Amino acid sequence: MLAYIGIGSNLGDRAAYAERALHEIAALGSITRVSSFYRTAPWGNPDQPWYLNAVVAIETALPARTLLDRLRAIESRMGRVRDEHWAPRTIDLDLLLYDDLELNEPNLRVPHPYLRERAFVLVPLAEIDGRFATLRDALAESELAGVVRIERENVAAMPEQQISSVAERIGALARFLAESGAARVRIERGDDAVEVAAGRRRASSDASGGDGATEIGSARVDTIKADLVGIFRLGRPAPVDGEIVDGDRELGYIEALGIRTPVHSTSAGRIVSVAATDGAAVEYGQALFLISRGR
Amino acid sequence: MATVAIFSEADRDSMHVRQADEAFCVGPGPAARSYLNIPNIISTALITNCDAIHPGYGFLAENARFAEICADHGLTFIGPKPSVIALMGDKATAKRVVREAGVATTPGSGILDSIEEAQHAAGSIGYPLLLKATAGGGGRGMRVVNAENELARAYAGATAEAEASFKDGRVYLERLIREPRHIEVQVLGDEFGNIVHLGERDCSVQKPAHQKIVEETPAPNLSLRARDALHDMALQASRYVGYTNAGTLEFLVSGDEAYFMEMNTRIQVEHPVTEMVFNIDLVKEQIRIAAGEPLGYTQSDLMSRGHAIECRINAEDPRNNFAPAAGTVSKLVFPGGPGIRVDTHLYAGATIPPYYDSMIAKVVAFGDTRDVAIARMERALRETLVEGVNTTIAICLEILASSAFRSGRYDVELIPARILTNGEVSAR
Repeated sequence: MLAYIGIGSNLGDRAAYAERALHEIAALGSITRVSSFYRTAPWGNPDQPWYLNAVVAIETALPARTLLDRLRAIESRMGRVRDEHWAPRTIDLDLLLYDDLELNEPNLRVPHPYLRERAFVLVPLAEIDGRFATLRDALAESELAGVVRIERENVAAMPEQQISSVAERIGALARFLAESGAARVRIERGDDAVEVAAGRRRASSDASGGDGATEIGSARVDTIKADLVGIFRLGRPAPVDGEIVDGDRELGYIEALGIRTPVHSTSAGRIVSVAATDGAAVEYGQALFLISRGR
Repeated sequence: MATVAIFSEADRDSMHVRQADEAFCVGPGPAARSYLNIPNIISTALITNCDAIHPGYGFLAENARFAEICADHGLTFIGPKPSVIALMGDKATAKRVVREAGVATTPGSGILDSIEEAQHAAGSIGYPLLLKATAGGGGRGMRVVNAENELARAYAGATAEAEASFKDGRVYLERLIREPRHIEVQVLGDEFGNIVHLGERDCSVQKPAHQKIVEETPAPNLSLRARDALHDMALQASRYVGYTNAGTLEFLVSGDEAYFMEMNTRIQVEHPVTEMVFNIDLVKEQIRIAAGEPLGYTQSDLMSRGHAIECRINAEDPRNNFAPAAGTVSKLVFPGGPGIRVDTHLYAGATIPPYYDSMIAKVVAFGDTRDVAIARMERALRETLVEGVNTTIAICLEILASSAFRSGRYDVELIPARILTNGEVSAR
């Protein structure tokens, strides 16, 4: 069954949480598509922390109810900071769509009610599935302006303190983009850099779109997972997001008990995400790289 | 004390994963690739800076090689020394050693390398016989041989089963004692040579495949003399091998006769009943001993009080030869109240994977007397609700209600001969 899962985080290192959630979701089946990361302006109250949103498509054998339970389990696992047992929740996972299933039960509504009305769901969803482009385009301009694609390396640098001003800047830039027809605008201030791309102009149903995100949306994504427990190290030269790799690139290695076990790419394609951190402990089955097949 | 849990992909949503400070997946569902994956387990311990590994009561708990590998990597294995695990883990060797210590064992053979050897040994011991795997446990690799014409088939079956289950097809023979009781003695030893016993547990209520299901302490209907003799035999054997940490010596008891059967060099599933009557946390004692602390008490400081019973709640179907029943638990209510303890990893919505032992909970009842403990257990089991999978709750209630159990005059034939054949096992 093909299921779509919405990822949201509004606390701390949002990109790291979203990536951790992606690894966990990868264990529930086979990830076929991952949207870009989006920064969502605070809704209603501008003092609220901003959200990072993304949507992932997964081919899974789990029934909808079980899938939902697993997502809840991931949430509760990730809601806990290592040394503190009851830290705040850091991730929200929503089951948006489950094949053609329509369910209206107390805890399980599929398709998700947000699906038709919320830009933070529709924009990333339309990016990876062109069927939703019409719904997205029907949203109000002001709604769409609040959802801006971001590069993941920029996420951690976004200061919590300047929330409203950053959000305002992004909103203004997005409106400028929408009116001007430009492909993207990048703003930088010190260490803080935000790139805004004209997501709405890129027809998601059209795989020939301009800047890579659409390609990611329409390509088959392979997850390269750790098959042992150890310390992960990136290869030399270090693989980077967007890099084109052949079918047998040594992407890194896992060191365990003094032995280095190399990690190779399994198919030629483009690295969508370097999911593991150099020097980090990795468990069995943890996603290390997401690679979209082909070029 | 901070904990790092390991889990397989099938146990990702298990309670212990949620409760631990950190948790690492060490492999896929099948145990051979996860819970028996020594490199991944050791690697997890090292990268998370663990000091010690508690092996629990399954998988690698009695694996001397694993204990040795832990030591090689500077990790404390919470259990006895690897040499003692090796000595007592091999059932035939263990019997030889305790005989040296002056403890009686059932007449039996050494390891049998061929069917001819088995036939020869069987002739000198005499029928009926039990054919057992040296690496065995839980009834696997075990066969009853009533007469000579059954031996060849039993030998082939037991060796094949033992090879498949334990990667060790070696078997031996021993005299089958009809309708015996299965009573075991808990011991604790520190690294300074102090060894104490914590009484006995009667584990005679066993499923047809010799797996325990109801255990109690003290053993009912056992003379003071027989009880003291069991305790003395356990201490004698433990001292002889220089035993450290927690261990259990299992005996076959028939009347006032008792024979050492085997030793489990680990904590056991049924250890809670001992904890209840001695008011001692055995796992804490294991960790203290492993950390190099002395016991700090002697035999005369230890007094048991009252009576405790444990019922194992397994996800299995007693009406279908106790076949394991994997599935999702839709509804779950556990009992409470005075004298009731529940050890479980289960929660509503949990999925029971098909790969592992089917035990899902232990319900333990304590009372000042055996009658009170039984009454509390019956009440607790009726309070327990597990929906979505078949369980052993109903058969546990039948066992508790049987006149044999009530009178305390029961043996290992209770379930096969009385409960299962006395009409149906109801699906209460």
